[in-house]
Order: sequence, then C-alpha cells, then structure tokens
Amino acid sequence: MGFLHLEKVHSSNLRSVNLSEFHPDRTSILISGGHHLSVFGIHKYPFEFRRGDVFLSIEPGDRYSYYHRVVPGDDCRKMIGNREGRIVINPVEPVSLPHNVTGMIEFHFTPIVLEPGSTVKIYTVFPVDVGVFLEAADGYDLLDVFTLTKQKYSLYGTPEKGFITRHIEAEVSDTIPGTDRIKEGVMEIAMHNCGQGWVEVSRAVFEQSTMHLFYGSRVSMKAEMDVYSRMMAETRVLERPLEEGMKQSIRLISSRRSLIHEKPSFLMEYGVGDS
Amino acid sequence: MTADVLASEVFGTVTLLDLLIFAISVVITIVIARVVAYYLKKSFCDRIQPAELSNLVKVIQLIILLIGVYLALPTFDINLADMLVIGGTIGIVIAFASQKIVSNFGSGLFLVLERPIKPGDSIQIEDITGTVDEIRILSTIVKTHEGIYVRIPNEKVFTSDITNYVVNVARRFEYIIGIGYHSDADAAIRIIRKLLDDHPFVLKHPSPSVFVDTLADSSVNLRVFIWAPSKVWWSVRTEMLWKIKLALEKEGIEIPYPQRVVSFPRDIRNRGRETYEKI
Repeated sequence: MGFLHLEKVHSSNLRSVNLSEFHPDRTSILISGGHHLSVFGIHKYPFEFRRGDVFLSIEPGDRYSYYHRVVPGDDCRKMIGNREGRIVINPVEPVSLPHNVTGMIEFHFTPIVLEPGSTVKIYTVFPVDVGVFLEAADGYDLLDVFTLTKQKYSLYGTPEKGFITRHIEAEVSDTIPGTDRIKEGVMEIAMHNCGQGWVEVSRAVFEQSTMHLFYGSRVSMKAEMDVYSRMMAETRVLERPLEEGMKQSIRLISSRRSLIHEKPSFLMEYGVGDS
Repeated sequence: MTADVLASEVFGTVTLLDLLIFAISVVITIVIARVVAYYLKKSFCDRIQPAELSNLVKVIQLIILLIGVYLALPTFDINLADMLVIGGTIGIVIAFASQKIVSNFGSGLFLVLERPIKPGDSIQIEDITGTVDEIRILSTIVKTHEGIYVRIPNEKVFTSDITNYVVNVARRFEYIIGIGYHSDADAAIRIIRKLLDDHPFVLKHPSPSVFVDTLADSSVNLRVFIWAPSKVWWSVRTEMLWKIKLALEKEGIEIPYPQRVVSFPRDIRNRGRETYEKI
C-alpha cells in the first residue's frame, strides 16, 4: 500500500513528504517546516495538501468528490461531479479577489531615474493568487481561487476615465529577490526610456490580458515598459519565463473563456510617477 | 441584334433594358443594405440586445431598399412628381400618426450612439431608480431595486436628467460620525484610518480622509470621505459604517445620544426649593 502512495507523489519531492500522514487511497502532499514542496502542478484526485494554515483536499464520496480549501479567513467547499480526475493548481493573475472588480495591477516602488535612451532592468515582488482548475475535455475550468496575501485596490487616472487597479507597494532590486512562491512572485521589468529627457518612474501598470505567469523554483513574470515621457508609457508582459524550465500557468482570463480582447500592451496615459 | 433585344418592349413602354437596369439597381441596393447591416451589427453588438439589433437592422435595410427602388423607378418612365405628391401626403399622415413612435425611435438611436446608460448600469431617471435591464428601439427597461419592471419610452429617457451611478469607475461616499466631547478625537481618527487601510476596496488612491468637521450640539463630528470602485461601493458603504462603530466602541470611544446640559443659577434653585416646601 505504501508503495502505491510513493508512486502517486512526484519522485523529486519524496524527501519532503510526511509518510506517516498518508491515507490509503489519496495523493498526499504535506509540508513540514523548511521544506519547499510546491502545490503547483497537475494532481490526480483524491488529493490533499497541507502547509501551515493552508489546507486543500479533494475527498472521494460514494459517487462524487468533495473539494475543501481553507486559508486564514476563508473557507471554500464544493462538490465535484466525479470521483476521479485531475486538477491543476498554479499561480494566477492577482486581480480576482475578494471580488473581480478589475483586470489591472499597479506597482508603486522607489523612484527610478532613467537616462534618455537607457534601459534599466529591475526586479520586484508581486502577490500571488492561486487558481485551482479542473481538467476538462476542451481545456480547464476554474474551480477556486485563493490567496494568502492582503489585497488593496487603487485608482490609476481619474474617476471618469481611469482604471481600478490592484495596488502593490513593492521594493525594487537589481537582483532576483527571494520569495515564498505560494504568496509571492518575481517580476522582471525592463524599463526603456524612449524620450529625450530624464524620467523618474515610480509606477507601472499592467493589464490582465497581457499577463503571463510562469512557475518553477519561483513564480515569475517578465515585462517591458517603454517610457515615452513623465506622463506616458507602454507596458506589456512577455510570454517568456524568467528562468529555463519554468511552466506556464493556466490563466484566469483564458479559463473563463471570455470574449475579452487580448491587447498586446497597455498604455499608461496618467503618468509614471506618483501624482 | 442584342440592342434590338434590349430595346424590345416587354410590357407597355417598358423595355428589357429598363427591366435590366431596374434589376441591377435593386441588386446593388441589396448588396449595400447587407454591407450596412454587417457594419451595424459589428458596431452595435455590444451596445444593443441581439433581438433589438436585429429589428433595427431590418428597419434600416428596408429603408435602404425602398430608397434604391425609388431611385430605380425612373427607368419605367414613372412620373416621380406624382409619386412625390402621393408619397409626401402619405408621409405626412403617417408622421402625424406615428409622431411619438418616430420620436422614441430617434431617441433610442441617440441613446445607443451617445451611451449615457448601458444594460447593467445603476441609474436614476426622474423618480425611477434601478438597474438598466435592456435598451430597446422604442423603450428602455429598468428593473427597480424593489424588483419592479418599468418600461420608460426612449424619448423620456433621452430628454430627462439621467444619473448614472456606475459610469465612473470609482465614486466617493461619506460618513459623519459623532463622538463624545470627552473622547479622544485623534484616537478615533487613528482607529478609523486603520480600518480603512485594512479594507481592500477602500481605494489607496484617491486616499480616504478622516477629520474633525464640526463641534456639534451633542458630539464632535468626524467626517470620513471614502473612494471605492463603483461596482462595489454600496457593499463597502454598508460594511464599513458598522465596523467603524464597533471598533470605536471597543476602544472606549463614546458615540453619544443627543444630549442637552441644563444649568440653574444657585439662587433660582434655592427659591424653587423654598416654593416647593411651602406647597
């Protein structure tokens, strides 16, 4: 019986698995302090994940399965209409909690002064939302989204023509910062000053339809920002991983099968500095 | 030979060439009507309900077709002056009869073009408050907050003052919170600010403001301005007020009832007591 369990758990993660917690017919991932076994990836269910305050399981019933997820301050239970199947858990665009009011994220960071014509590459940290998707015949359907981070929203622009954004106060660095990947991701932003004068940049806004997340040893996004002036810039997230071997996340925007037009970039028309 | 065939009269003075020109004109008109319909559908598919859009397109197609036929008629040697007189008379009669309908139709078109409201918006038109359910060619359907179906003619919608509560992405609301004269206003402001900072939908920018507004009869009034996304402002408004009340009470900040301090001069009080004792 024990051998059967070991097969269900990814071999590279075996060292982190607490075998004493195994149940007979369930794929289990239980994290003890200091280990970094990720919940991200494809899992067969029945399935269970536990790490600190986070608990996620799909228990088999007589005919159906029961999804249960607990994070501090939030508890979600759903019934799934089959006993066996596969789920995908991966980081998703951090714009849908507690309610979906926007598709934008806005970084506020220490001002960076850009020389005309120069390109500066910086790294910053963004909050991660976790999406749980059910595998379907024609793709993936969203089952649940949760987060371990605090949300705060803001307004970029004017109340009449601006955009509601997920507000992120972030530190910037010139090296990749360490992160807890269930909570945070790393965003690389290559800022290019296309204008004729020096520009101080302390804000960057990205639109959900341009966001592509990747995960592996860390969660990441890779972005570009073309700064035209103090008032205008163009941002886009590249569909490229930060490091080799990272997997691309299933996106909320595509799982919802919405008719939202995917724009190649977002034009920041209300400034790149703190107003 | 071909010229003879084309010039041959089919009926009356109408030749085959006349018929051919008429047929080509009608075909071109149909093509134009279809192209216009395609672009109308493409442009308005997100603004008008599909059934309404279909009706609108049919009406416009019919108008284009009638114009095309009218322009092609001279090939049959029909006297357009007579037709204009007859058509004009009929037109006037119809216009008088359908004045309101045409007015509502025109207003509907302008509503679609100007877009002061769209389905799903929370609005107020005169004394009707609710959510726009549908914008039709002749009327706008509003579902009031009590769940009542209200049909408003488009002419009325177009000529009335419209308040759209959600057209802007963010909106501001305010509270006035009275605390006791003996309570610490700075502490109350600190507590309220902390609550506002913790709430995800109290916008970071424009930042909320909390300040002492008035020294009122029974309380020191704090005014709280909050910006929230228009989609969720009502839930934020209802949630935050009670949270503020609970948080202030928990920290011992008094929210007083209306009160009045009555002072009596000492001699008046004594005289009053003497009078009472005599009685």
